[in-house]
Amino acid sequence: MLRSWVLTGLLFVSLTSTKGMAATQLVVEAALDRQVVAPLLAAFEKAHPEIELTYHDRTTLEVDLLVETSSQAPDIVISSAMPWQMNRVNEGYARRIDSQPAAQWPEWAKWRNEIFGFTFEPIVMAYRLDLASYMLPPQTHADLHTLLRSQQESLKGKVTTYSPSESGIGYTLFQQDARYTAKFWDLVKALGNAEATLELDTQSMLEGLTRGDYWLGYNLLGSYAMVWAQQHPEIIVQVPQDYALVVMRTGFIHRDAPNPEAAEKFMNFLLSRDGQHVLAGKTPLFSVHPDIIGPYTAQRLRDQVGDRLYPITLNASLLAFVDPQRRDAFMARWQREFNQQRELPQGPESRK
Amino acid sequence: MIHIDGSLKVRLAILLLVMVSILGTLLMIEAYFATQRAAQRAYDSQLEAAALTIAEAVQWEGADPVVEIPAAALQILATQHQERVFYTVLDHNGDRLSTNLDIDLPHTSRQAAALAPTWLDLVHKDTEWRLHGQEYDSAGWEIQSPVQIWVGHTLRGRKALASELFDRAVIRFLAMVLLAATLMVLAMRVALTPMRQLRHQLRRRQADDIRPLDTRVPEEMREMAEALDTLFARQRESRDTLLRFTADASHQLKTPLAGLQSTSELALKSRSPDVWYQALEEVHGGTQRTSRLAGQLLSLARLRHIEDTEALVPLDLKELLRSTVLEWAGREVAIDHDLGLSALPSTPMTIRGEPWGLRELLGNLIDNAIRYTPAGSEITLGVESCSDHCMLFIEDDGPGVDPEGLSRLFQPFERVGRQDTEGSGLGLAIVDSIAKRHDAELHARERLPHGLRIELHFPLHEEKC
Repeated sequence: MLRSWVLTGLLFVSLTSTKGMAATQLVVEAALDRQVVAPLLAAFEKAHPEIELTYHDRTTLEVDLLVETSSQAPDIVISSAMPWQMNRVNEGYARRIDSQPAAQWPEWAKWRNEIFGFTFEPIVMAYRLDLASYMLPPQTHADLHTLLRSQQESLKGKVTTYSPSESGIGYTLFQQDARYTAKFWDLVKALGNAEATLELDTQSMLEGLTRGDYWLGYNLLGSYAMVWAQQHPEIIVQVPQDYALVVMRTGFIHRDAPNPEAAEKFMNFLLSRDGQHVLAGKTPLFSVHPDIIGPYTAQRLRDQVGDRLYPITLNASLLAFVDPQRRDAFMARWQREFNQQRELPQGPESRK
Repeated sequence: MIHIDGSLKVRLAILLLVMVSILGTLLMIEAYFATQRAAQRAYDSQLEAAALTIAEAVQWEGADPVVEIPAAALQILATQHQERVFYTVLDHNGDRLSTNLDIDLPHTSRQAAALAPTWLDLVHKDTEWRLHGQEYDSAGWEIQSPVQIWVGHTLRGRKALASELFDRAVIRFLAMVLLAATLMVLAMRVALTPMRQLRHQLRRRQADDIRPLDTRVPEEMREMAEALDTLFARQRESRDTLLRFTADASHQLKTPLAGLQSTSELALKSRSPDVWYQALEEVHGGTQRTSRLAGQLLSLARLRHIEDTEALVPLDLKELLRSTVLEWAGREVAIDHDLGLSALPSTPMTIRGEPWGLRELLGNLIDNAIRYTPAGSEITLGVESCSDHCMLFIEDDGPGVDPEGLSRLFQPFERVGRQDTEGSGLGLAIVDSIAKRHDAELHARERLPHGLRIELHFPLHEEKC
């Protein structure tokens, strides 16, 4: 009798203690490959053992929808689709962070102290080494245009780039390209003539290049491409010499986050020296932090390619990219230019 | 006794502080609203610019207006304060062509915007917004109907600008107050210099220096300076009186003493006891007179210095008069005179007075009348009731005093040409002093056909009036 009471008591104590230890939950919904950020997540869990981290790797579209529709709001929302993230923040779904790392974060990489760009990923061109034996590899956007026109026959079907209708990041990149120069549409026309294949992500493009399906890729995420090129010597990564776009992964704490304190700890870790150090040293994602030293930092990249890096800054102009009418108009123009020379337009389906 | 009742500087400072506080509050209220208006104007113009930029991007494709939202418009809306932004483009039916947030626009505002540019403050999902709506004409090949453009943003920048402007206004005001206070202190020091100079001048004076002031004072201090001068003048006067009194007293004492000396010298030269006896009698009479004189001087001096009016008690003047006259009638000096009382009123005559002082007064009056009238003269005392006071009088049928002498009658040592009697001239002066202590008016007038009448008018005791 007595023994059973003692047992029950012990059981109760052990139950409450484990429950107490795992009291803080943290749910991160991210459009960011889990294996890429694994070192970062591990470092966070080591620094904050009291927080039980749940990390869901999803597509940008899923992440964006979860912000609005999820019955249980996520704590942290991370995505590379900057305009959609900005739109959610503008709708008031983000929570302001007033910590020291947040205050010291570079102005161009944050908005309202609510959303923060915490990686620095240049957009690059990639080509197979074989290409160089047939033609002069492109170094700038203009080179690419010339090459596509002069070597139209040999490059037919051998070029790949993002699909603007199915990839949020691809759409953002082309919108940004179009903002810089009207000649962009000539490039689109040339890509169409070369019967370029539209892929959903950088990984597919890199795999296609390695297999030999493609000779040339345009607008790849430099972070993935550079790591890939280290392991696959047949692939050459070229940072465009006229201008190179830079995208950022952005994260914000959801307004209705169930665990705002844990969420703020996570964001602070992401923006802290420690977090950015892991980012720069153990992941291919470049660090934004100006003080961090490592192979993958914004500073190192600037040293290598000069001042031709054009980050897509976090500001209200990104909201124009998600305006439905503007998007429709852009896609209509894209289809018109891309399919101009083709008999049967086989445009990919619209994103929505 | 000087009581220090606050300081002029503190009083001035408090007055100024109160006025500045009231004025400052009013100014700050005004500044608050002015800065709010200024911030509102500054940011409203951003909204107008953004709306115009969007309006420029409206184009007609067939029957449908198409808006390709310019990124610049959103940047203008967001301002450098990174406001959350709202825009919507409505066609002529009020249907949304393009929007980014589902803010519901009130029907009345949409109607108002159709007529003129409209401003609207509203709260959407716990956030304050300011919206601007305007209708723009736009014409296509098929349809020519206007579009309505609404833009808006949150209020962070407005609030920041307003509070910055307001803070600056407050700092300016406080700086002004501090500067004014400093100048005020300096001005006060300068303005109060004449007072300080006067103070120094008074402090430097010797104890017995009671000359009139010789200084420059501003208009505001004239009265005080004049009052000081009057005080000095009175001091001078009383000192002169004292000196004269002392001189007169010495003179009066010197004469009988000189008499005593000569009498005693003469007697010492003689060997005859008869002469000695006669001289002794003269000396006896002389010392009697002298000691009476000394007594009178003493009581006069005492009367002039005793200021204590607390000793005044209500008493019946009629009874006092009766008892005093009866006492005097029995004295040896009054044997040759017909000392009498006139008919006294039946009611008591209550006044406030010192019994000993009044007896002294009556004694002096009677003594005076006896001394300065020939034997057999009739001396009558009486008391009469007037409307608000009672009158005590004494009259005789002696030779009287000529009219010029009447005014000098009550001055010490004044005998109005009567050197024939052994009086000192102090009696009536003592009467005058005692009368003054009782607030009584003293009058001397001729009595017809001959003689002197002295009247004393006492105020009646209030309770009995």
